[in-house]
Amino acid sequence: MTTAPSRLPDVFTDPASGQRINLLDYKARNMRLSWAMALLTAAILAALAYLLAQVTDIASTGFFVGSAVAIGGAQGLVGFFLSDKIALAAAGARKATAEDHRYLVNVTEAVAIGAGVPAPQVYVIDSPAPNAFATGRDPQRSSIAVTKGLLQLLDRQELEGVVAHEMAHIRNYDVRFMSMLVATVGAILVLRDLVMRWLYWGGVGSGSGRRRRSDRGGDGARGQGVMALLLIVLLVLAPLLATLLRLAVSRRREYLADAAAAYITRNPEGLARALEKIRDYRGPQLEVSEGVRHMFFVNPLAGQNAVDLMATHPPIQERIDRLRRM
Amino acid sequence: MATIVILVVLAALVLWGVSVYNRIIQLENRYENAWSQIDVQLKRRADLVPNLVETVKGYATHERQLFEEIARSREAMINAKGVSESAEAANMMSAALGRLFALAEAYPELKANQNFMMLQEELAGIENKIAYARQFYNDAVLQYNNAIETVPGSFFAGPMGKTQAVFLEIPEQDRAVPSVSFGGAQGQPQA
Repeated sequence: MTTAPSRLPDVFTDPASGQRINLLDYKARNMRLSWAMALLTAAILAALAYLLAQVTDIASTGFFVGSAVAIGGAQGLVGFFLSDKIALAAAGARKATAEDHRYLVNVTEAVAIGAGVPAPQVYVIDSPAPNAFATGRDPQRSSIAVTKGLLQLLDRQELEGVVAHEMAHIRNYDVRFMSMLVATVGAILVLRDLVMRWLYWGGVGSGSGRRRRSDRGGDGARGQGVMALLLIVLLVLAPLLATLLRLAVSRRREYLADAAAAYITRNPEGLARALEKIRDYRGPQLEVSEGVRHMFFVNPLAGQNAVDLMATHPPIQERIDRLRRM
Repeated sequence: MATIVILVVLAALVLWGVSVYNRIIQLENRYENAWSQIDVQLKRRADLVPNLVETVKGYATHERQLFEEIARSREAMINAKGVSESAEAANMMSAALGRLFALAEAYPELKANQNFMMLQEELAGIENKIAYARQFYNDAVLQYNNAIETVPGSFFAGPMGKTQAVFLEIPEQDRAVPSVSFGGAQGQPQA
């Protein structure tokens, strides 16, 4: 027997929960989480539907919940099949070939071999701000986009670290998981907007609601008032909680991908140095819409995520510190 | 009733045995495939070498000995059979190419040659891919060895005729440096 293949940990321990996640295979975990998320969304929607049915009649409940599920589902399907093309187009990414970006293509192919995934398509974004993102619903149809600024700023090892981070997202189906999350949060948001608008136009006090109240008598009216209140509270809270959950998951995913990148490259220092250079970058920022911001290697609006709870990315300094402690 | 229980237990045992067997075969395929990834890169490198030597010859005319050494290593590379011979030939070639690129420093016109620059990046890229492929190979070997050495795999490995696979030594080196070796003298896979 000779050297063990690695001295680096192949298990990521979450400092917050103490939970241990195998870096080589958190794909299965992602899949389980996706299902849990779908069930949770279904449960929230069912609770909302129940409350709605108490306050209104069955037909409007069916309409509200039906529309929310349809719109959320459409979002999910679009996200599943088209998110890569949309994201690449939105970021203004152009395909890089072996001829015009030999260095980048070589680095990507090498890291793909180390990560044990097919080499992704490589794209370049014409921006001086150093950043990168990965997209694609499975490793067979994945793309990595990097900015020109990133290529100029980083040396080979640092670039390998960033590419490996993106490769980790690809290998573990993070892109699919995140688009699923966006869709579920979307469905709840749609339902809230529909019901809020309806309440605003005097929904509870009029039409079918009034008819049912007279059917049931006084007690029913009070019960209905409580139900309406519960409904409003849930409608306000559910999207907020779902959004916070999505952001928390998104932040933790970045730590996980950093740890996986350190394992793939066997070189946490490369990625740490890359993050340092990106942290110290002072220049024009990358302009992208809010919808794709969470996908990027570092938040395109560096320094603006003052409220920690609402950030899609963990602080760069914390990421560097964690890599250095490995 | 009792026969049903026995049948169910037997069926469960058979299914379990099949899954352990399949796991061993899968891991064996994975590490063998990982070796072929290294082999692909080694062949690509051997294909680029004559082109490189032709380019360098135009500028550095007196380095006949080094050119011959590179040619020999390429010959050995092409004729190599099996993992250990390939690894040895790859070492030889890495060392010779390392010297060639060091030598290029003394020829500013060569360094500025477009074709040379392209070949240099391509070969550095291949060295890097070889390093990653070797790392992936060792990971795969570790998983395979663990599977056949630990219970329950160890019960199956004997009857299946499976023995431990060998690691490739990974030298502690800097990946940014183009010349990547198979670890010099201790580079051959060891049992």
